[in-house]
Amino acid sequence: MKPPSSLRSRPAQGGAPYLRNGRAALTSNRRRFLLGAAAAAGSLGFLGSARAAGLAGSDYRALVCVFLYGGNDGNNLVVPTDSAGYAAYAAARGNAAAGGLALQPSTLAPLAGTNLGLHGALAPLASIWNQGQLALQLNVGTLAQPLTKAAYLAGAAARPPNLFSHIDQQTQWQQGGSGLALPSGWAGRVADLEGPTAIPAVISAAGNAVFINGATTAGLAVPAHGAFTIKGFGPTPSSNPLYGLYTRLLGTPDPNVEVTAAAAVMQQALQASALLDPALTTASGTAGYFAGQNNSLAQQLQAVAKVIAARSAIGVKRQIFFVSLGGFDTHTDQLHRQDLLFGQLGPALKSFHDAVESLGVGPQVTTYTASDFARTLQPASGGGSDHAWGNHHLVLGGAVRGGLYGTLPQLALGGPDDVTREGRWLPTTAVEQMGAALATWFGVGAADLASVFPNLGRFPGPNPAYFG
Amino acid sequence: MKSRSRRWPILALCALAAAGAAQAAMTESEARRFLDEASFGPTDATVAAAMASSRADWLAQQFTRADSDYAGYTYVNPNPKLGCPAGSAPTCRRDNYSIFPLQRQFFENALGNPDQLRQRVALALSEILVASGRQIHQPYAMANYERIFLADAFTNFRRILRDVTLSPVMGDYLNMANNAKGNPARGTTANENYGREVLQLFSVGLVMLNPDGSAQRDSQGLPVPTYSQDIVEGYSRAFTGWTYPPRPGATAHFGDPVDFESPMIAFAAQHDEAAKTLLGGVTLPAGQTPAADLEGALDSIFNHPNVGPFIGRQLIQQLVTSNPSPAYVARVTAAFDAAPRGDMKRVIRAILLDPEASAPAAPSTYGKLREPVVQLVRLFRALGGRSDGVWLLRQAAALGEPVFSPATVFNFYPPDYALPDDPGLLGPTFGVYNASTAFVLSGALAMALGPNGIAADPTVAGASGSRIDLGPWQGLVADPAGLAAQINRVLFAGAMSPALQSTVAAAAQSQPAAKPLARVRAALFVAAMAPEYLVEH
Repeated sequence: MKPPSSLRSRPAQGGAPYLRNGRAALTSNRRRFLLGAAAAAGSLGFLGSARAAGLAGSDYRALVCVFLYGGNDGNNLVVPTDSAGYAAYAAARGNAAAGGLALQPSTLAPLAGTNLGLHGALAPLASIWNQGQLALQLNVGTLAQPLTKAAYLAGAAARPPNLFSHIDQQTQWQQGGSGLALPSGWAGRVADLEGPTAIPAVISAAGNAVFINGATTAGLAVPAHGAFTIKGFGPTPSSNPLYGLYTRLLGTPDPNVEVTAAAAVMQQALQASALLDPALTTASGTAGYFAGQNNSLAQQLQAVAKVIAARSAIGVKRQIFFVSLGGFDTHTDQLHRQDLLFGQLGPALKSFHDAVESLGVGPQVTTYTASDFARTLQPASGGGSDHAWGNHHLVLGGAVRGGLYGTLPQLALGGPDDVTREGRWLPTTAVEQMGAALATWFGVGAADLASVFPNLGRFPGPNPAYFG
Repeated sequence: MKSRSRRWPILALCALAAAGAAQAAMTESEARRFLDEASFGPTDATVAAAMASSRADWLAQQFTRADSDYAGYTYVNPNPKLGCPAGSAPTCRRDNYSIFPLQRQFFENALGNPDQLRQRVALALSEILVASGRQIHQPYAMANYERIFLADAFTNFRRILRDVTLSPVMGDYLNMANNAKGNPARGTTANENYGREVLQLFSVGLVMLNPDGSAQRDSQGLPVPTYSQDIVEGYSRAFTGWTYPPRPGATAHFGDPVDFESPMIAFAAQHDEAAKTLLGGVTLPAGQTPAADLEGALDSIFNHPNVGPFIGRQLIQQLVTSNPSPAYVARVTAAFDAAPRGDMKRVIRAILLDPEASAPAAPSTYGKLREPVVQLVRLFRALGGRSDGVWLLRQAAALGEPVFSPATVFNFYPPDYALPDDPGLLGPTFGVYNASTAFVLSGALAMALGPNGIAADPTVAGASGSRIDLGPWQGLVADPAGLAAQINRVLFAGAMSPALQSTVAAAAQSQPAAKPLARVRAALFVAAMAPEYLVEH
């Protein structure tokens, strides 16, 4: 499908690319380039200047965020296997037969060269660890500034707002910082640096999320399966006069902000459809890697793999993807429920890893996990755990230098790393330090990191060196 | 105090004007607008009835109506392998272990039942005090939960809070059922799930609010938190000791098997009897019964000054506009706070009879993108469509709103979701509107207005399919401008922009004159796809 004629013919305003209904031009701090360079030939000059602040490198790179909604219990993602470490873990977590949460040592997947084991359902990732392409970031979380337990307890230093609240902590993870007066997400702000692209540089297969929207760019939500085209205008909308009427209508300014926003969503969809529908609906060679996995996360990652496979046709050389898996809010029945969820996560991550390797871009794709927060080490009534803080996360891909990053908290209730009595870890690595390491690999220059992670400067010291 | 006394005469004038408008007869356009807020959308019949009444009288009549219910769903064994043993019909699980039948009935009720205000408020409450069919699969269970909102919609918020808290569905959903006191020997604590979310989502929210809904800020400009982790733990302990009711004939004990037929029951032995510190400096003394602690805890929540603005603003967003003015929120808060506190009829009157509900103070930021459920039902009601609910429930789900079954307790979309491109404004329903669902909507509208309707699903007993008969519109196609005017009247309450009127007329003319139904469909499809239609404003 060609871009609708009304969009193709729309004149660029003062040399700038298409702005939403003309209105956004009046408020440049809020404007978003929903439609890309392909929509307006006159925008090339502008693009050239925007690229000055863009992303480094000319190769293809993709970053994939796998968000584990609900607050994944990192204490059972990775477990000490040495006798002293396991004993402390088991004492605090309690016997599973009595409503506790301790995993049995025999079920763990050992991480060679360490005193740690992965949850058994994540065993498919062990081979990636053995290849040296899986990093484990220990005790990372939201922070407003470097913080000690004493300062936390004394209220002597700023805490992240609304600790232990799902939606607030999700938002802070996705924004890339705590207490930011920014509605945008950090992937969106990375895309802002690059400026307009043929289709949005940030794509979600998991619906809307704070993560995907920048200040001047809007992320794109695509279906995890099925067509990505408008319906009701026949097989070739561009040859249907009704479609011409409709697209002209979409371009008509309206004084109401929600009407304008609704129009912009459809315009963005139509603009991206021509390039993305073929990518999403054409069978790619990667499907076989996901055989037998019918869960939503596997479908989403399969859609991402299809878009990566079509990278040449799409022509966007830096892409950030967002996928998610929900259900991690395991207040009860955690052992069973996390086992089922990891039973989806482990195979899906492994399949995706293999799929992108088969596309020849293994070292150009990095995948990482994020989540609301960790969960209490101490079990709650009902065989579950409650909302906590610092958590452990995965970073994997062909460019990753595998290994452990950060330090495991001392698994002691009320111990030096616990800000409460139930095992809520004070993070030793900030969300933005993890994010900055990923963004730097992605191509964000040192001078631009502060615009993506405004609070990064508060955390001295090198960011984790996941990429050697 | 000074500013209050200065504002008082203005408020009094506003109130007088509102009272006048509330009692006045409505024009057709006014009636259609009003019914968009107070019902699942106007029909010619409800418009006529509203015009023969007044806003206030229409509400008074609606307060007496109770036509909708979710009766007739029977208990099923919590284990689907026992409820649908091998050899059961292929539809056994769908009809007994998914809320499909309940969702279907919701749409049937919304389309046709006259207690529109009750249903509309119940839907709004179900999106604020969320339990989900995603986790509670049995239709009889979720039916009992949703019946709370139908029954309590016009009672008192304290009653809603109590019925939700004691519902075994909520008990299961947020783990108050079988929440035993902490056990030092086993190293367990009271479960914090309900104790936290009842505060954060169902009543007071995270930050201290002014009556107009704005956040209170400290000397550094930071929002003042409503509660601390210690307070959450206080409520978590206050809510210990409750379990499912026993099955008929069974002896009750703590840890009863899952049963959703009646409210939860308490066991003192599993209740934490130590004192608890709660909101607003309230302390529950040691040694109280589970019931006494529960009532004391709910009183402390209900009496917190945040409840009026926190719940009131969300009800305004659900029924009227995404971005109510602070003054509008303050007026609804005042209605909530007046004695007897929490009176739902008074709150609903304050929301729907407010001047801002009929005459926006700031038209450019007024209104809301309709949530998918309302978007679909409204079209069918306006155009005289019929549906057994099956297709509607599936389309709503594809659009991001599987009714009564959101992914999490945070509803389909959060009330503070930022409006795209205008992050200073809110656009809650944009949380489920994006490129992907925009295309789904195009398909749903095309099918709804398509020539064949949607056939009955043969696997659903009593199914009749979905269909909008456009036959009566054919007579209008000879006059495209007249057709556009009729669409303007029925779908836009007369507020269609001139640009859209000409587009709609041109759409009709883009189809062959010999195919009048195709002309009607083209005109209606373009009108229903227009952003100015999708957004109620």
